[in-house]
Amino acid sequence: MLERIVAALQARADLAGWSAREIRSRQVQLYAVPNAIEARRAAMSERYVIQILRQTGGSDGSARCGDGSATLLPGDDIEAAIDTAALTAGLVQNQPYGLPEPGALPDVPLADPQIQSNAGQVLDQLHMRLRAAVLAQPHVQLTAAELYAEEQTIHFRNSRGLEATQIGTAIDLEWVLLCRDGAREAESFVELRRRRLEDIDVEAEVASRARHAADLLRAGAPPDYLGAVVLRGATLATFLNGGVIQTLASAATKFAKLSRWEVGEPVFHGQADGDPLTVFANRRLPFGNHAGRFDNEGQPAQRVELIRYSQLAAFTANQRYAEYLGIPATGDFGDIELPAGITPAVTLLDEPHVEVVDFSWFTPDEITGDFSSEIRLGYLVEGDRRTPFKGGALVGNVLDALANARWSAETGFFGDYQGPHIARFAGLRVAGGEV
Amino acid sequence: MTDLRLPHAIAALRPHLAEIVAGVEGRLPYAAALLSAKQGLRISVNDREEQVTEQSPSAGTVISAFDGVTMHEAARGGFDRAEIERAARELLRDVHPTGGPAIDPGPERHGDFVTPMAIAPDSLSIEEKLDRCRALHRRVRAMDERIVNAQIHYTEIGEIAVFSNRTADLAQRVQRLRMTVMVAVAGPGGVRYDWTSKDATGGWEALEYADDELRRVIDNAIALLSAERIEPGEYTIITAPGVTGTICHESFGHGVETDMFLKQRARAAGFVDRVVGSPLVDIWDDPSSPGAYGGYFFDDEGMLAAPTRIVERGVFRRGITDLYSAQALGIPRSANGRRQDWSRKAYARMSATFFAAGATPLADLFAQVDRGVYLTKWSSGMEDPQGWGIQVTCRYGFEIKNGRLTGRTFAPVGISGYVPAVLQSVSAVGDDWALDGGGCFKGHKEWLAVSSGGPHLLLKARLG
Repeated sequence: MLERIVAALQARADLAGWSAREIRSRQVQLYAVPNAIEARRAAMSERYVIQILRQTGGSDGSARCGDGSATLLPGDDIEAAIDTAALTAGLVQNQPYGLPEPGALPDVPLADPQIQSNAGQVLDQLHMRLRAAVLAQPHVQLTAAELYAEEQTIHFRNSRGLEATQIGTAIDLEWVLLCRDGAREAESFVELRRRRLEDIDVEAEVASRARHAADLLRAGAPPDYLGAVVLRGATLATFLNGGVIQTLASAATKFAKLSRWEVGEPVFHGQADGDPLTVFANRRLPFGNHAGRFDNEGQPAQRVELIRYSQLAAFTANQRYAEYLGIPATGDFGDIELPAGITPAVTLLDEPHVEVVDFSWFTPDEITGDFSSEIRLGYLVEGDRRTPFKGGALVGNVLDALANARWSAETGFFGDYQGPHIARFAGLRVAGGEV
Repeated sequence: MTDLRLPHAIAALRPHLAEIVAGVEGRLPYAAALLSAKQGLRISVNDREEQVTEQSPSAGTVISAFDGVTMHEAARGGFDRAEIERAARELLRDVHPTGGPAIDPGPERHGDFVTPMAIAPDSLSIEEKLDRCRALHRRVRAMDERIVNAQIHYTEIGEIAVFSNRTADLAQRVQRLRMTVMVAVAGPGGVRYDWTSKDATGGWEALEYADDELRRVIDNAIALLSAERIEPGEYTIITAPGVTGTICHESFGHGVETDMFLKQRARAAGFVDRVVGSPLVDIWDDPSSPGAYGGYFFDDEGMLAAPTRIVERGVFRRGITDLYSAQALGIPRSANGRRQDWSRKAYARMSATFFAAGATPLADLFAQVDRGVYLTKWSSGMEDPQGWGIQVTCRYGFEIKNGRLTGRTFAPVGISGYVPAVLQSVSAVGDDWALDGGGCFKGHKEWLAVSSGGPHLLLKARLG
């Protein structure tokens, strides 16, 4: 069907440009509850997304342009879909822009052959491993598990001659460990997304989360605290993927006058006593959750140095905003990457601090960076003593926190983040106490 | 029966569903079919650009087959009869009855349903909708010179569903609309913004803005330029309907989804008929609530919409159910079995969840506050059904002293606490009532349109 869509698009004289994507997906899903498999699902889909660009004249005679899109399922009317997209594009009057030029597409590893060959078997084996790992932790029980595996294939064509394919896989896992002591209960909830099985250490994750569940049972009220806060691993990845860097370094946000960041200028405005910050937006990260050979408009994958020594080095931009701002097009953000820090983890953990292990949901204001996020599990750490607490909120500002962060020399890969696995932030506040 | 015009592919497949279901039930104790299509439109107009795009569509078929223990589902994109019959044959080949209990298919029910609309979106051309958005943008932009960007976001989502099982043949078209106005202003400290939304299952008649509503969002954005961080601590608070609804949603909404009971993840499971809040607290979930953004006529498992009283005068009465958990727990069903789309399973999910209105005028609520905070705008919330912790993040709060607003603004403001303690602290309930539409995840996935709301509440909570 893609060939027929391409032929129909090529036959149109009223389009300034177009792209077409064929997206095929195969998913298997397994849902477990205590003592039973609740559901097994298999889902297959095939769809075609076309995007078109048209020149549209402004009311003052100036050159303007508009874009439109349509999604087709097998058997849908191709001409009608193109007409709809063209009609929509014709209504819009934006500053002109074009489509990306064809560029060399890098090979980015995205697919796990095990998932491709038998996703159902992979899930069954993963579920058995999960159950066995939980049995090895007698103080907890597995009360729920959801396992998804997907293979997705995208064929891309556009009017500038780009023709490309990428195949990716993904595994999504969620599970819940329940720890009981008499009538008291506490749970630890885990969610993971990785592109390949090899990047999921179920046994280690279960052991770690089982400890958290047990600690939650003895957790006390949150302290009122102002001082150093440590985040590590997946929690640090959550903090960095909260959207603040992604939004303020976006050319679209800059064009909308919502970001005041400027290339060559510091990204911090207050006190900055931490390690200089360097950040990459990386779509080439092997098996990164947001990696890909090309994005939805066909931009080749790049590893973009966004922030260099705490100064903005580049904006991420699709073709449109790149042309609007006169900067290089980078394509989608991808995954976030930080270089290794200079301080051994053991040093960062040596002084007293609070460690936040789980947020309820880390949702900073993406423009200001301000946040106030409930703590599901934290520890007050003094030497070898780790006192668990739950509740209260971590309060601060993402940019101020990054300005005063020290990063570990040890690094890790966390699906959507690669970099130091520990960060120590100075001067954050825990708003504690009970109602 | 309502005159519901289904898309051709769905209309062509619908008459064959009963036969497909019967074929599967020839060997297995329960089967059902769902045809689901969602499509829509997004328009965005701001100072610098316009966008008109399709709302990412989905369309597919689910054949469900229960073997006595496990629900097996074959889900296929589209509505091709041969493909669906093949999927049903594969289920029959791969799934075997376990001897476990059958599922009650429910009473006989047949009907077609359509959202009532005065100005249906498909009665307007895309150009007319774009022009209306442009006009609203011009109105906002002309109201204050301090605005650096004003954005109008319009979304319409048309959801079509057909459900068939042994006793049901149901079809519905639910039309959801939402119009958001976002205003950004700039000051020495940077850019600040605020937004307001109108939403409905309904037509464009629900999306009209009065000038004072637009003025308020501009004033709030300007107030944020001088906002302070709040000193963490326990406060007396007044919550406006949106914040009230978010507290409701995160506490006795997510906390009473009975699939979480089955997974031993909900503390509420042990509190049926026990006191969980002040006697002033009444909580409902009602997908039939007229015009509610999260409303519908029947759920994705064929249960006709009806209200569920969750908390009655402070006493927890019952949860909201999906088919599987209701069956496994042996409890009555409610119309809350919902899917993100055809490619995902059904869970117990909220529709329109709210506190019932009380009898106290807003002015009397304020008169009871010596020192407190008025919270009018929520930005996010998160559930904790097992731990009964609560997180609601508010975009800002306004200081109250001696029953009056002082003009001092705090931002952002997080509400946290222990759910029963927060609900027990409710000391007065306003006589107003409104619903706020939005999206809801189960954890961090499975997005659905929902509504939350209620009246103004006077209560105590920890802010930070």
